[in-house]
Amino acid sequence: MSALERMLGEFAAQRADSARASVLTAARLSAAEALRTHALPGRREENWRYTDLRLLERVPTFLPAAAMAADGAIALTNALPAVLPGFARLVFIDGRLRPELSLPDALHLETLRNHAALAVATHTDPKSICFETSGDGRLGLLAGMFAPEPLSLRITGTMALEIISMVASAAYSDIELQLAAHAKLTLVERHLAAPAPVVAEAASGTTALGCARLRLILDADAQLVHTRLQQADAVALCYDTVTASLAERASYQLRHIAAGGGSARSTTQIRLRGRAATVRIRAAATAHAAQVADLSFTVLHEAPDTRSDQLFRGIASDQARVACSADVQVDPGAAGARVKQSLRGLIDGKGAEVDLRPRLTINTDDIQATHGATTGRLDDDLLFYLLSRGLSAAEARSLLKWAFLGEAFSAIEPAALRRDAELAAAGRLSDSPAAELLQ
Amino acid sequence: MSAPLLKIADLRVSVAGTPVLHGVSLTVRAGEVHAIMGPNGSGKSTLAHVLAGRPGYVVTGGSAQFDGVDLLALAPEERARAGLFLGFQYPVEIPGVNNAYLLKAALNARRRYRGEPDIDAFDFLNVVRVKMRTMQIDDALLARGVNEGFSGGEKKRNEILQMLVMEPRLALLDETDSGLDIDALKIVGRGINSLRSPDRAVLLVTHYQRLLDHVVPDQVHVLVRGRIVRSGDRELALELERRGYDWLLESAAAVA
Repeated sequence: MSALERMLGEFAAQRADSARASVLTAARLSAAEALRTHALPGRREENWRYTDLRLLERVPTFLPAAAMAADGAIALTNALPAVLPGFARLVFIDGRLRPELSLPDALHLETLRNHAALAVATHTDPKSICFETSGDGRLGLLAGMFAPEPLSLRITGTMALEIISMVASAAYSDIELQLAAHAKLTLVERHLAAPAPVVAEAASGTTALGCARLRLILDADAQLVHTRLQQADAVALCYDTVTASLAERASYQLRHIAAGGGSARSTTQIRLRGRAATVRIRAAATAHAAQVADLSFTVLHEAPDTRSDQLFRGIASDQARVACSADVQVDPGAAGARVKQSLRGLIDGKGAEVDLRPRLTINTDDIQATHGATTGRLDDDLLFYLLSRGLSAAEARSLLKWAFLGEAFSAIEPAALRRDAELAAAGRLSDSPAAELLQ
Repeated sequence: MSAPLLKIADLRVSVAGTPVLHGVSLTVRAGEVHAIMGPNGSGKSTLAHVLAGRPGYVVTGGSAQFDGVDLLALAPEERARAGLFLGFQYPVEIPGVNNAYLLKAALNARRRYRGEPDIDAFDFLNVVRVKMRTMQIDDALLARGVNEGFSGGEKKRNEILQMLVMEPRLALLDETDSGLDIDALKIVGRGINSLRSPDRAVLLVTHYQRLLDHVVPDQVHVLVRGRIVRSGDRELALELERRGYDWLLESAAAVA
């Protein structure tokens, strides 16, 4: 039985056990039906060449883990990162919200518990439906089917929110955030592996699976600064899907650090639907040993005067593979669009591989676009220069690699978060940087 | 007479399979400044780079001793720590590597080699600021990436700044004067002169004698087609300025 057949079978059995009809149930059934119709992506698809979904065969069960007893609470608390000053915090363990680990302010958000309410806003549009059900976003359907506690939040005013998703066995999170007009949200999203005692308690850990779907809806003039830190290094399979829809003059800054998972796939689609909407992406991926980090960004310019600026830096060490697909599509109606794209990869191992796939599809004459994509090894001239100043070969290599990644990290704030991100990325390099180099 | 700091004997070097140096012999003693002059393609830069240990430069014969140690047996970083400095003709830009960080790392590499503790941040800044004043380098360049966006003159002055901070025993300066205007040439000359001392030496590689107006050499050698064809004092550089290299090319052809 294939992984797809098994997950649909387990889903159907679970539904039979709890046949309670609800809007949420309908959404789950719809997700399962879409997956049945369109199937999982496969390596024959250009955008999925590096994500080995056959590893799903090893997942013992796709059903979300049962609610964990409070016994592991102390270990969990100790494993949580230090609180970021001024941030509310929501903590999910295996997809279930843990109020006792969350910061109270976060629980008083204006919560829209009717999950379908916002879904209507995003999913009547054919492009969104296509992406989420038959396009690159369909891995997110898993989260739609299995997430035990999907969450929809509407943000008004100004807020700083940290969402921590900790994976012990099978974790599905399905979150939708809507930023009202003129709202300002600083969002930190961390994906972590649960500490060892909790994993043992969950009787899993052999092939842990983290699957997240995040939908972002920015109304006019909304501003979102979003730092995503994938650092669940001990989790075998990490899949996440992000969709963002931006109205007029909305601004989205995404800092994405992929430094977790044995096989990690991150799929992002950003739609600039309103005039003068802007997105700025700074992404980095590091992988070593036999890890895979596969990132896919699609930016759709659908309105005039929209702006996108993408930067990606990836380092593959040992036999690791790092891939980044960056697809920008400019519609005929997006006159005055500005597109900037810079993708760079560094190969740091005999068996390592970096694959960068920039794609620009431009359907208007009135556009300014700059792009560049390069992959290579450390520059021998730079290396010799540092050696000639007395630095050891390891120190010189580490310094150059860290410099290579620097642009992707420099915008991350606050400093404590940037340091966490740097440490996570550094842990997957073959040479650890000197402590002084971490900002 | 002091002991030789650098003793090169019949050094032969190939680059990408092509012989470039055909038996260079040279002795530089502590306290001396030597100038290596010669036309384009004569092997001047090859000599500097092979002494610094650049990969791709294959020694096919001869020897080079630095302070009594087999220089050619050392890795590039070991040569630097032992007190050999190469000033690059074309200093590379390294965005993302902070200039101050590199200076401090380089200085500490030298200090550890000498058995000294790492310099603390306060003392380091004091040391660097003094040297920066000598080289008329703005403080703001310390926070920038190494040579990132520097003008040609700033890059060369930054090379000399690194040299002054590292306090090498032997400085190999590869066409440090190229691309410098008159004022920058004076500043660079001042920087090199400030390093001169009885226990250090400098080997200047240059096309022209104009740098030698500011840094007066003890000896001048003319390298032509991979061989030193003539040596003399500063007068030789002035003669080259008047007569060019053609008259020496003919004698080199006769030797070959």
